Amino acid sequence: MDIALLQALLSGAAVGSTYALVALGFSVTFTTTKTLNFSHGEFVSAGSFIGMSVLFLALGKPITSTSFGGEITGNGAQLFALLAALGVMGILGWLLYLLGVRPFSRKPGMSWVMSTLGFGVILQSIGLAIWGPKPVVVPGPVGDEVVRLWGIGIRPQEILMLVVSVSIMVLFDHVMRKTMVGKAMRAVAQNPSVASLMGINVNAMMIGAFVVSSALAGLSGFMLAPIAQASLFMGLAVGLKGFSAAMVGGLNNARGCVLGGFVLGILESLVNLWSAQWREVAIFALVIVVLAVRPTGLFGTKMVEKV
Amino acid sequence: MSKFKMSRRMAILSAASLMSLATAAQDIKLGFNGDLSASPSAQSGAAGVLGIQAAIEDINAAGGINGRKLTLVIRDDQSQPPKSIQNMSDLIDNEKVVAVFGPTNSGNAMAWKHIPNQKKVVSMGMIGGGTDITKGTGGDNYMFRVSMVDREQVAGIMAYAHKAGYKKVGLLTETTGYGAGGLKDMQEIGKLHGIDVSVSEKFAVADTDMTSQLNKMKAAGVDAVAVWAQGTPTGQLMRSMEKINYFPPVLSSWAADNITFYDAAGKSLAEKPIFMRTMVDPTTPKQKELFERTKSKLAAPSAFPFVVHGYDAVQLIAASIRQAGGTDGEKMRAALEDLKDPVAGAMKTYNKPFSKTQHEALTASDFAFVKWNAGKLVQVSDPVIKSLTAADFKR
Repeated sequence: MDIALLQALLSGAAVGSTYALVALGFSVTFTTTKTLNFSHGEFVSAGSFIGMSVLFLALGKPITSTSFGGEITGNGAQLFALLAALGVMGILGWLLYLLGVRPFSRKPGMSWVMSTLGFGVILQSIGLAIWGPKPVVVPGPVGDEVVRLWGIGIRPQEILMLVVSVSIMVLFDHVMRKTMVGKAMRAVAQNPSVASLMGINVNAMMIGAFVVSSALAGLSGFMLAPIAQASLFMGLAVGLKGFSAAMVGGLNNARGCVLGGFVLGILESLVNLWSAQWREVAIFALVIVVLAVRPTGLFGTKMVEKV
Repeated sequence: MSKFKMSRRMAILSAASLMSLATAAQDIKLGFNGDLSASPSAQSGAAGVLGIQAAIEDINAAGGINGRKLTLVIRDDQSQPPKSIQNMSDLIDNEKVVAVFGPTNSGNAMAWKHIPNQKKVVSMGMIGGGTDITKGTGGDNYMFRVSMVDREQVAGIMAYAHKAGYKKVGLLTETTGYGAGGLKDMQEIGKLHGIDVSVSEKFAVADTDMTSQLNKMKAAGVDAVAVWAQGTPTGQLMRSMEKINYFPPVLSSWAADNITFYDAAGKSLAEKPIFMRTMVDPTTPKQKELFERTKSKLAAPSAFPFVVHGYDAVQLIAASIRQAGGTDGEKMRAALEDLKDPVAGAMKTYNKPFSKTQHEALTASDFAFVKWNAGKLVQVSDPVIKSLTAADFKR
């Protein structure tokens, strides 16, 4: 096969794995609470800045620095940064649910859309006050030397992203389909009051979903920073593409979300090979076509009850 | 406070304000309107102000202009067009400045360029490089500039491509107004040189992988690529070149002199592109003296060219006031368009820099070709650049 085409497929899969991870974050809250965190993209960028701050501290730099100046961080620091991104974002998810979603969910109107969006704006403004608008290049845990396979190149961090997003998908798929927790989550989504009567702690389930979803955003941000740089403005693009991936694959299906991410990433890369200026047109045309033909996405299961 | 004390205080206050009014009538007020705090380019704005202040100090120390001292009124537009428009009216209508320097961001100049033209007050740009800022809109044009100009950079890099013998130059641009403007300029000027510029690819500002676009360049067999994008995506482009191990000669916009490019590309990849700047390091005695005076206040040494632009902008305005015999806007504009005496600036000595149709004090032949080397910007001087003459810069 043509080297350029192979490169496009691999590069596309690498970009797509980012979308996949973000799509999974959307999926988790939707399958449990039928709500979404509309500022998931801003949560991703918050996650990258939290990871970055820990790395700055590990190097003895002030937290408000805006450059690593080529310094490499140790594995311990990277692990700690990852845990901090997961932990802090998890707590933020819990706060988001308490303050921004629970008061409005299952009530008529769409107040939770506005309140989750607002949460993202607040995070972004705080970030701007601390770090300013300059993007920061963040060193990754696996180095930056290009790995070459049969004449095509990829960066180690991109391979890591691929592996992580597929692993998380397998894990989620297993939990949702094979375990009691998964059943309980689906029960809560289907009918919270009946689920509650069956002895399921609905509140805990919903909090759990937002914590996991936001921690996933933290993971995405931590993983993405060495590839795309930590930027307070990456949220919109990442969130929109991740959401599109979830729409294409199926918002209530972990496998679908990840496949949707790969489909979008590879499509982008192939369109680039043809004519890059039509890329966004192709992507969103695909989203519209999929929604028209299969409203629940390529792999989504039909929802009987529609509000 | 007793009534008596109050009225005495009022009397002192009003006397003081009368006195300041009296001196204000003597002084010549100049204005600066540009971003000093908000966007990444704010440090360029701050450097420009340092240059303006240094020139004002020098002129005042030498007795001012016809005995009148210069003063500066500074307005930060925080890179927002509405704020910049408001500042412009405030400076001209309320502060009664006779000339305005700035802005930092080209977009803001485009937002208010009708104001200087309507109010007949000279605007002397010294930072933003957008080509259309100084373009006339019919009638008298009050927009002048001492800075980099996008189209002049294109004239420079296309002249380089032509002299280097590149027959086919691939164009890589970002999908923004900045990228689109550069693409149009590169296509037009490339054709003037007879260069094949038909291979053109685009990428988005936030893209992290441009290998597909680069593989198309490779397949098309281009001799070199010309890039018009902001610092970060240009850096990502270099990283994608490394992925597919494809390194054609790279000519780029001066966005590559930004630290965001250097950070994104990394130390060794950052050394690939060559691009243009008005100057690199202080070389002449005047520049060195200016650098010593301002370096402690400069955010980064790389912002020094804006000190020089600001310094020269004031010298040119001062020359126009001297020649016009006053601060009447129309007469100042006419004087600028026909400066009789050479004006000694820090960048160079300006000999009839402007005319009715030419409002750029600096053009491609004044610029330097530069690249990154070991973390610093250095001037490039290869046989191609040495052979370039003013006639090579087509535009």
